[in-house]
Amino acid sequence: MFDWIYSIPMPRFAALTCGFFVAFSWIGTVLVRPVLRTFVKHRENVNDLVGYVLSCFGVFYGLLLGLLAVAAYQNYRDVESVVSSEASSLAALATDISAYPEPERKNLVWLLRDYTRDLIKIAWPNQRRGIVSLEGEYTMDAFHERLLRFEPVTAGQEIMHAETLKQFNHYIEKRQLRTLAVSTSIPKVMWSVVLIGAMMNITLVWLFDMRLTSHMFLGGILACFLGLMIFLIATMDNPFRGEFSISADPFQGILARLMEE
Amino acid sequence: MRMSLDRKQSFSSKSWSRCIASLAGCAILGLLCALSGCGEIPSSSSSDVVEQFLGKKEEPSPIQVGILFSQTGSMSISEMPLKHAVIQAIDEINAKGGVLGRPLIPVIRDGRTREDIFAKRARELVDGGASVIFGAWRSVDRKAMIPYVENSETLLFYPLQYEGNESSRSVFYGGMTPNQQILPALEWFMSPEGGSRSRVFLIGSDYVFPRTANYIVKEFLKNKSMQVVGESYVPFEHKDFESHLRAIRESKADLILSTINGTSNIAFFHQFAQLGMNSQATPILATSLGEAGLRSILASETTGHFAAWSFFQSLQQDRARGFVRRFHEEYGIDRPVHDPMESAYTQVYLWREAVERAGSVSADAVRQVLEKTIEVEGPGGLVRIDPRNHHVYKRLRIGRIRPDQQFDVVYESPDWIRPEPYPDFAFPGWDCDWTRGGLQKGPVVKIEE
Repeated sequence: MFDWIYSIPMPRFAALTCGFFVAFSWIGTVLVRPVLRTFVKHRENVNDLVGYVLSCFGVFYGLLLGLLAVAAYQNYRDVESVVSSEASSLAALATDISAYPEPERKNLVWLLRDYTRDLIKIAWPNQRRGIVSLEGEYTMDAFHERLLRFEPVTAGQEIMHAETLKQFNHYIEKRQLRTLAVSTSIPKVMWSVVLIGAMMNITLVWLFDMRLTSHMFLGGILACFLGLMIFLIATMDNPFRGEFSISADPFQGILARLMEE
Repeated sequence: MRMSLDRKQSFSSKSWSRCIASLAGCAILGLLCALSGCGEIPSSSSSDVVEQFLGKKEEPSPIQVGILFSQTGSMSISEMPLKHAVIQAIDEINAKGGVLGRPLIPVIRDGRTREDIFAKRARELVDGGASVIFGAWRSVDRKAMIPYVENSETLLFYPLQYEGNESSRSVFYGGMTPNQQILPALEWFMSPEGGSRSRVFLIGSDYVFPRTANYIVKEFLKNKSMQVVGESYVPFEHKDFESHLRAIRESKADLILSTINGTSNIAFFHQFAQLGMNSQATPILATSLGEAGLRSILASETTGHFAAWSFFQSLQQDRARGFVRRFHEEYGIDRPVHDPMESAYTQVYLWREAVERAGSVSADAVRQVLEKTIEVEGPGGLVRIDPRNHHVYKRLRIGRIRPDQQFDVVYESPDWIRPEPYPDFAFPGWDCDWTRGGLQKGPVVKIEE
């Protein structure tokens, strides 16, 4: 629903989120506050009452935001770890195939090189747009096919071939985990609760009885912080998307090595 | 009176507060804008300002370019590099601003060395809005794709040398026809420079290209000093050539014309060497084996044999060397570059030139431009489309395989050879001229299958 946010440069997205909540808070302070305050008019200690409700609400909402931020960060770290693990597995596969006799070794190296190159140049930019590319799958199919075509002659080759096939399967598992992570994100229903909660938080602030300038300043600060928190969660929500995303750097070294093979 | 003054003072105080609040608001918003670079926004319409603030640029709609080669199956060894060549051309074009200011988006599919999959994928590409498809190696795959492109707004660019005997208004053929490749190569082998050879054995994969090409060869050799002493066909991925090679030896052939495709070449050359046959007495003239295919075969088993193409990696022309160098920079210095790759690469530029001249990617508009004389400089030299039949003029080069699996060019045709998909002696009465009514059919020619 909000995929377009990942095409915005990060500082602008932060400014946009904060600006939106601050604007919402200020507009409400000027336009809605006089109407809302009729509910609590002529009551004593109204600020204490609103403060109490707001602090109760803030605890629950803060918990929700905090847990979400931690979960998003944890997910980001997990996916980063999957990518590192995938890169390690690919490096191990590259090492295994270097022991094959010619011309199989060369063909396998070329396929792995093509795959790594496409991963960096095609698959990763596509992932940033939320798309899983098929190109890598084709090349890996070709690699697997070439591996299966190899017929070991010596006992040493048999062991090496079995190990390579095992490593290949291991790599495919890691790759699968990464491709699945491309589309994982916080459910829409949770986002709805977060956004509605933020609006309610700001609405409660409108009930305070204080000078307009102080009201706008304090409301603005709270709205700005809420915007920042939501910006943080949204940025980390999709680990492969936007500027703050996991890069293909772990694969660059493998490509450089395969280019020299 | 006093009360009204108090109210007035009170009202004035509220106004003052609002004024300060508004100023503070503007200041904070201004600060946020400045932090995010909003201050650079020139005055324009409000939607433009929003777009610019969001950092979104109005990007021209991309043009989808279908790439359909076998990335798996027995032909992947030969076809995979063609995909790279097309992508390289697309990358170069995109780096220079795309076509008509629009970027090219490659949409890559795997034909899996199966004509039914080629047909299915071609239909998907056509339905998906690809303006053009660059694809296929084998004739069976091309033929499977043609019905889908003919009934669509998509053109097919086929980069391989092939048997001819075909014309489609939606297909542009970038490879050589037999009159540009096999026939002049045989003439060279009949000449003293080629060893004055007189007995040729035809062996090929069992599909339309080898069958038709060999039919043309037999018709061509009827009044020549060379005779066909045997003919055999093997299925794709065939690995046991012993009986075929014994038949070749018994026929006393002094030349083998091989139209074997794909991985079967590995077994063919290996068993040829194992049987003690050699390239001096019985050289193999391969028409479907280039530098890429050679890398899967031991160098000692191929050295001294021949291949007939228009482009070899070892060509020393500046454009050829530049093409090879750029490819190596991108895919690795050890990657072989071969003729069909050059054709596929050049065809992308031919299509781009036509689109630029037509000012549109519409198949009709592009075809109209291509059916006029159109030329581009390719790595192998100037490439010109014959508007009559959508094929290209080609120069023949015969290469002898070196121990480093490159080719020494031993013969080069003095001029560009005009493409003839329907040579008179093989297909009497048949001709194709799209500038004058299209295909002219003659009597049906039955080719043994």
